[in-house]
Amino acid sequence: MALSHHFVIYVVITPLLVALLIPIVNRWKKNWIIPLTSLALVISLTLSILLLPNVLASGYLSYHMGSWEPPFGIEVRIDFLGLFMMILILIVTLVVAVYSRRQISSEIEDGKTATYYALYLIFSASMLGFCAAGDIFNMFVFFELTAVTSYALVAIPGTGRAIKASIKYLLMGAPASILILFAIGLLYSVTGTLNMADLADKITSLGYGPVVIASYVIFITGFAVKAALFPLHIWLPDAHSIAPSPISALLSGLFVKMGVFGVIRLVHSVYSTNLSFDLGVISGFLTWVAVAAVIYGSIMAIMQRDLKMMIAYSTVAHVGYILIGIGLTDVRALMGSMYHIMDHGLAKACFFLCAGSIIYQSGYRKIDDLKGASRQMPLTCAAFALASLSIIGVPPTAGFISKWYLVWGSLNADNVILGVVILLGSVMAAIYCFRILYYMYFLPPLKGNWQDTVGEAPALMVGTSWILAIATLVLGIVASLILPNLQKAIEVFYIS
Amino acid sequence: MWSALAENINYAAAMILFCIGFYTVIMRRNVIKKIIGLNIMETAIFFFLVSIGYLKGGSAAIVTQGAEYTGMVNPIPQALVLTGIVIAVSINALSLSLAIRLYRNYGTLSVDKLKEVNE
Repeated sequence: MALSHHFVIYVVITPLLVALLIPIVNRWKKNWIIPLTSLALVISLTLSILLLPNVLASGYLSYHMGSWEPPFGIEVRIDFLGLFMMILILIVTLVVAVYSRRQISSEIEDGKTATYYALYLIFSASMLGFCAAGDIFNMFVFFELTAVTSYALVAIPGTGRAIKASIKYLLMGAPASILILFAIGLLYSVTGTLNMADLADKITSLGYGPVVIASYVIFITGFAVKAALFPLHIWLPDAHSIAPSPISALLSGLFVKMGVFGVIRLVHSVYSTNLSFDLGVISGFLTWVAVAAVIYGSIMAIMQRDLKMMIAYSTVAHVGYILIGIGLTDVRALMGSMYHIMDHGLAKACFFLCAGSIIYQSGYRKIDDLKGASRQMPLTCAAFALASLSIIGVPPTAGFISKWYLVWGSLNADNVILGVVILLGSVMAAIYCFRILYYMYFLPPLKGNWQDTVGEAPALMVGTSWILAIATLVLGIVASLILPNLQKAIEVFYIS
Repeated sequence: MWSALAENINYAAAMILFCIGFYTVIMRRNVIKKIIGLNIMETAIFFFLVSIGYLKGGSAAIVTQGAEYTGMVNPIPQALVLTGIVIAVSINALSLSLAIRLYRNYGTLSVDKLKEVNE
């Protein structure tokens, strides 16, 4: 068997192994930690890009752990959607890892750097594993690994507020994980299998009995908590605004999307869309909850006075958009959702990195203090401005493409109201983003704020936020390269 | 109805236990009690998983050459529970250590009092 056959598993394993090395390396060579972290992520990224042609050609890659055949062995299965998520995860984690080199020392104690990077890599690797898992139990295990490391990463500054946010997050997140395990048990009790492809066959032949439907509802509830779907979002604003800024970027940009991606996987690969059609009530309910999330998240974002809090509430709204696309059960709407996962991940990570730079340089967290910020930090403010165009959905950014497809999908499904809600959400996003930009660019600083001593953030931090900001623009322009592949991958679910 | 309940007494027990745990997590105002509730929920699910694979009078699933494949307890739910226990232990350790830090910082574990403190 060729070596490239094993690439599938190395993508996930490399960061996981390096995470174990980091505490050891820390004893001798402290400066090696960050290059080593970046190297692990670069290797994974290279391998996952090398997998891309194979996945595009054959639809999916299947790897059997220890050569045990599925459904009895553990299957790692990478399809285009999974690989799409994996490449997104690797790009964002790599950029943020480089960013945290300078920034993290201001948020955590010196002795904790090794712990931070070790947890960081486990967090990244388990998100990759989640996207690559071919059976629901491994999906659960990787999901838990992500969750446990994220609780620890939120608490890592060790301040009272961080501990409080972390335990609030844990007390919401852990019951949700238990619900997911419960749903796996229910599904196993009727089908006797855990492999996703096998489950889809068994469920189709068994029909949708009460147990299958119950497990579906419980699964969706569990993932909805992790995805911070309104009204189960109450842990999110605290956790995302109090965590160190690089971690906020990962949590908001990527981790929330894992919950959403879990829903996408379950609805399409396990239960198949037919269930959503049969149970119009559930998918309809999901859509209307998502609508509430868009409106509530946007209004709360407009009302916030703290910059990171505003960004966190904006995430609640954007999860709503993505779930609208899932609930519509339409090819174009789901393409919009997947694209939105990507561009929101990049833009929101950029937001948090810019907020982190501002806090690092000036210590200002309040939106009022941002008045006149562009005089001293022009580059950071410009990156923020570019990312906010994508959050609002201004052409030609990637945010426009995804909202275009979401609106197209909702009109296709004869649901004009949803289209209106998406556009209304854009208007509200414009309100909260332009308020910040107006403060930054057009208002004089408050008395005593933004003295000449406050300079631009270090080049590494500015550069990394610019990479993400430019990525949102570039992905809007080259969307025609990605969308056909996405469409091909999604159409498989809908043509039966 | 009663005979159906008697046959599925394990599921009913798991559900009751789950509800007790859930109630504790939601309603109790003390962080430690919430963590205990979390554990009760976990135990309920483990109980449920093990009872799926249970067979009355079944033997352990050790296959030797020429042995009968019938009458064995399903080992997969047990494997799931083992993994689940490992996860539960790590969550427990993390949440309890967070609770200790919480107490050191604020001198209280009551959710209501913690809400009032703003720093």
